[in-house]
Amino acid sequence: MSTPTHCIRPLGPLKQALRQCRAERRSYATTQELYPSLQTRYPPPTPGFRPSQAMKQNRFEEGMKKIPVAQPPRSTLKACPDPIAAVTASQLTTLDPTGARARLFAHSNPDRVQPGDILLVRLKNSTPFSGICLNIRQRHSPIDTAILLRNQLTRIGVEMWFKVYSPNVESIEVVQRKEKRARRAKLYYLRQPKHDVGSVEGVVRQYQRQRMGGPVGGGKNAKGRDANAGRKKNNQRGRN
Amino acid sequence: MVNVIDNSGAAVAECVKVLKMKRHARIGDRIIVVVQKQRNFGPESGGAVSVSAANKVRRGDIRHAVVVRTTKKWQRPDGSVVKFDDNACVLINKGGEPIGSRMNSVVGKELRDKKWSKILSLAPMHL
Repeated sequence: MSTPTHCIRPLGPLKQALRQCRAERRSYATTQELYPSLQTRYPPPTPGFRPSQAMKQNRFEEGMKKIPVAQPPRSTLKACPDPIAAVTASQLTTLDPTGARARLFAHSNPDRVQPGDILLVRLKNSTPFSGICLNIRQRHSPIDTAILLRNQLTRIGVEMWFKVYSPNVESIEVVQRKEKRARRAKLYYLRQPKHDVGSVEGVVRQYQRQRMGGPVGGGKNAKGRDANAGRKKNNQRGRN
Repeated sequence: MVNVIDNSGAAVAECVKVLKMKRHARIGDRIIVVVQKQRNFGPESGGAVSVSAANKVRRGDIRHAVVVRTTKKWQRPDGSVVKFDDNACVLINKGGEPIGSRMNSVVGKELRDKKWSKILSLAPMHL
């Protein structure tokens, strides 16, 4: 019998369940009065109560926690205020113990090397190189001082940079000074064919003869002899 | 364009390839060149016939060569820097022997490190 009723009213049992639930709820309001054990022990909170605020107010303040850390290392600034200068000085004492090289390029020295001078650089393991000084480069510290020499070898222009304090440089000699002080610090214009002075080998050779104490020019015979001597020297250099 | 400084007969050549490298050549590097200009050996040799007889290479030839001078500055291990006014090379054959028998100007010393001592011994001066 029930089956046909369901077919006619499919939501019949559901309606009945809802009705029952509503009746139970109505009776629940009365249960608290009926059973005092189910009532809350504390009065309900006041309307403005905020639990988070209350927790903050009741917390015991004890400040930041101290974390044990290692002591910072001693400042190296106090130990050595200018390490670069110290290193430079120590290097200079080893590379230039007499201070002659430094004096050759010191600004305080009126006879210092200046651009335009003809210099002869003797090297430890190579042939000496001579040329016109085009540029003296002093970077941040005197130890970096370098010179740019230009010369013509077999009619080919050659330029070389030499570090002044290099252990490979045996000596730097001033062969000839520029008569008039150059009005530029860098004589790069000497690379132009218009201004090129060509080879300075002749000047250097004469200077070397003078230093050796040989004859300096003179009569026709002497000239011829000198020319031969020069050629011999040149050959030697070529063979090296 | 590089100058040719030996007596092979070439005066100016053009580099078309740097061997064993994908960048520029420096002193001692082997390159392939095309001869662009022939050298004339003085007026006394005279005539096109004698010029071609004296020259071992002709214009348009493709040859191997070794760079002996560069205008690019090159810093050596000792801190010195060398720079020449021109780029120059010496022609060699496939086996590495120089084609010319003499050279007429200064060459770089780096040739020694690159095992070109034969060229170095032919040069009148090296730096």
